[in-house]
Amino acid sequence: MSSSVISVISRFLEEYNSSTSTKLKVVDAYLLYILLTGALQFLYCLLVGTFPFNSFLSGFISCVGSFILAVCLRIQINPQNKAEFLSTSPERAFADFLFAHTVLHLVAINFVG
Amino acid sequence: MEASGSFLHAILNLSLLVFVLALEAQALTPSHYLVASDVDRLQAVLSQPFTDLKSAYFSVVGLSKLGVSVADSNDACSFIKANVDSSSIEALFYAAEASQAISSCEIHVSNETRDSLHAAVSEDSTVSQIHQAVSALSSLGLPLASQEVVSALKARISKEDNVVAITLALQTASRLSQQAELGEILEEIEDLAARLDDLGGVYLQFEEGLEATALFVSAAYALSDHVDMEPPLKEDQVIQLVNSIFSKKSWDSLSEAFSVASAAAALSNNRFHKPVVVSAVGPATVSHSHPLLQLHVTDVLCQPLSSANVLVESATSVASKAAILSQTPFTLRDGIFELNFMASKPASGYYQFSVAVTGDSRLVANHVELKVKVSTKVAINNMDLSVVDKDQSIGTKTTRVEYPNKGKASFIADSHQNFAMTFQLVDETTGVELTPHQTFVRLHNQKTGQEVVFVAEPDSKNLYKFELDTAERKTEFDSISGTYALYLMVGDATLENPVLWNVADVVLKFPDEEAPSTVQSKNLYVPKPEIQHLFREPEKRPPTVLSNTFTALVLSPFLLLLILWFKLGANISNFSFSPSSVLFHVGHAAMLGLMYVYWTHLNMFQTLKYLAIIGSLTFLAGNRMLAQKAVKRTHEH
Repeated sequence: MSSSVISVISRFLEEYNSSTSTKLKVVDAYLLYILLTGALQFLYCLLVGTFPFNSFLSGFISCVGSFILAVCLRIQINPQNKAEFLSTSPERAFADFLFAHTVLHLVAINFVG
Repeated sequence: MEASGSFLHAILNLSLLVFVLALEAQALTPSHYLVASDVDRLQAVLSQPFTDLKSAYFSVVGLSKLGVSVADSNDACSFIKANVDSSSIEALFYAAEASQAISSCEIHVSNETRDSLHAAVSEDSTVSQIHQAVSALSSLGLPLASQEVVSALKARISKEDNVVAITLALQTASRLSQQAELGEILEEIEDLAARLDDLGGVYLQFEEGLEATALFVSAAYALSDHVDMEPPLKEDQVIQLVNSIFSKKSWDSLSEAFSVASAAAALSNNRFHKPVVVSAVGPATVSHSHPLLQLHVTDVLCQPLSSANVLVESATSVASKAAILSQTPFTLRDGIFELNFMASKPASGYYQFSVAVTGDSRLVANHVELKVKVSTKVAINNMDLSVVDKDQSIGTKTTRVEYPNKGKASFIADSHQNFAMTFQLVDETTGVELTPHQTFVRLHNQKTGQEVVFVAEPDSKNLYKFELDTAERKTEFDSISGTYALYLMVGDATLENPVLWNVADVVLKFPDEEAPSTVQSKNLYVPKPEIQHLFREPEKRPPTVLSNTFTALVLSPFLLLLILWFKLGANISNFSFSPSSVLFHVGHAAMLGLMYVYWTHLNMFQTLKYLAIIGSLTFLAGNRMLAQKAVKRTHEH
């Protein structure tokens, strides 16, 4: 049973390494970073408690928001999805990504206290 | 057949009468009215020496409305003649009206003046000017064209649609000939009455104030009397107007006092409505020493209605609902209506009187409800004091004490004995038993100043009993033995002679006497212990080591990211040093720096301001840069 899981995972990783372009891998690395940061913040909150709650929320929501925006960017710049995003060029996607991040960070900094 | 018809008719009449009586019972009576001192004050205000022609007008005409003539009429007349300015319609109005109020004072006017007065009656003058001109002409005895006045007034009313103007129009119309068509102007009374504000069902007044309301009342009745048509005011409305106009007992200005005098005169002497004011002389209390119930029955100017018949329709006891009187008349003596109520031998207490004033069809609010108190003197009979043994083995010794003497010997009661007191409270004159509201027994320790009060209760035969069980009650006394002075306190609203009687001295011996603690007088006014303010404790924080560890931990994925990117071969070799890309990166870095500064120093508004500036620069640069990149990309493919 466990061997099949391991074989599935290794197969998946192989496919991933071969079929994804470098640009997408860069974005994926960024996604992993954001994920880890958010998870560690959540772990701290579980261990120590929610004081100060607004700071925790601000940091965590910032991570979540960044993750979502990065996922959106990845979807939009993936050449395999080009058919669905005819009007959106990768540059446009990146510009949207930056703008949304500006708003997100503004709100997060406001809330962190 | 006829008999049954007439029977039905009788039943209908009776039910209608009952219905009408029931309605009348709910009618409003004046709650605010002028008493004699108020009328005198009004007269005093109006009798002030004149400062100018206008104040002379208010004083002279105001006093004449109160039925009083001005102090020195010759003086007044010469003052008026000296101050009249023939070129001013207003001055002529004041002079003419004032001179007419003074007997044998006549003002002569030239033909020119008369013509100028006639000229003032036109659609181009204000209602006030028309009123003054018409009143002056009328008071001077000069002829005027009533129909012209009516048409001028009608035209002006439609232009000046305010309360004061229409009131003046009504007043003007009352000076015109009865043959003129005053119908439309008469309808204005009803329209104006609709504009009155009803305040709580008690007051009815214009929002323009007391003066406007009072002038409206006098104008409405003047015009109604003139055309002999009842004004469209309901009885309750008349009483509400009375309440509004006479609620103010001191007046700010001469014109206000004049308007009140004018309204009072109108309400006390017109053909249709005459409000009646019924009030008791002093408190409405009768007793054996004062057996007469006296009432003032007056009009609004505090003049007694000598020709009226005042009748008690019914007088019922509030407690027992028994009717004592029915249809009993009052007798008039020296302007006061009297009734000897004690002659009906009422028991002490409160009685509800329903009084009716008849004799004039114009009377308004002539059914009044009055609460009358019958008071009496109380006598204490059969005051018996005794000390009873608890096991009743030894016979009781009863001592009788007569009011107001004090019992000679002290009574001694210890824990095996009870001290008992019985007495009766009766009406001094009739001997009827009474149960006053307050019957207290007070024991006062002379030495310690302590006092304990008990209530004496009557039994079913109205015999009052008080028993003191020494053992049971020792907590009230703090177990302090000693001599206590015994007082009986009797009081009630209907008693003329409340009683505080030191009946006897009682020596109480308590078991288990503790060390006599001084009685702590409850002093409420000493400083209380100080309360220390507890500031809000700061929240508990985790240890710094833990926080620092996690800070490092949270920042560590960034390192991982850099490593991963390095491994993937991400690089910045394609970086073109075009001005737009440089500017873009600088701007972007500035925005991130701004976020940090926002966190530490700024507020939202300042941040938004800076963000707008930096953001727009970055946007333009970025747009350019990305466009260039896009062009490069499409060229490559």
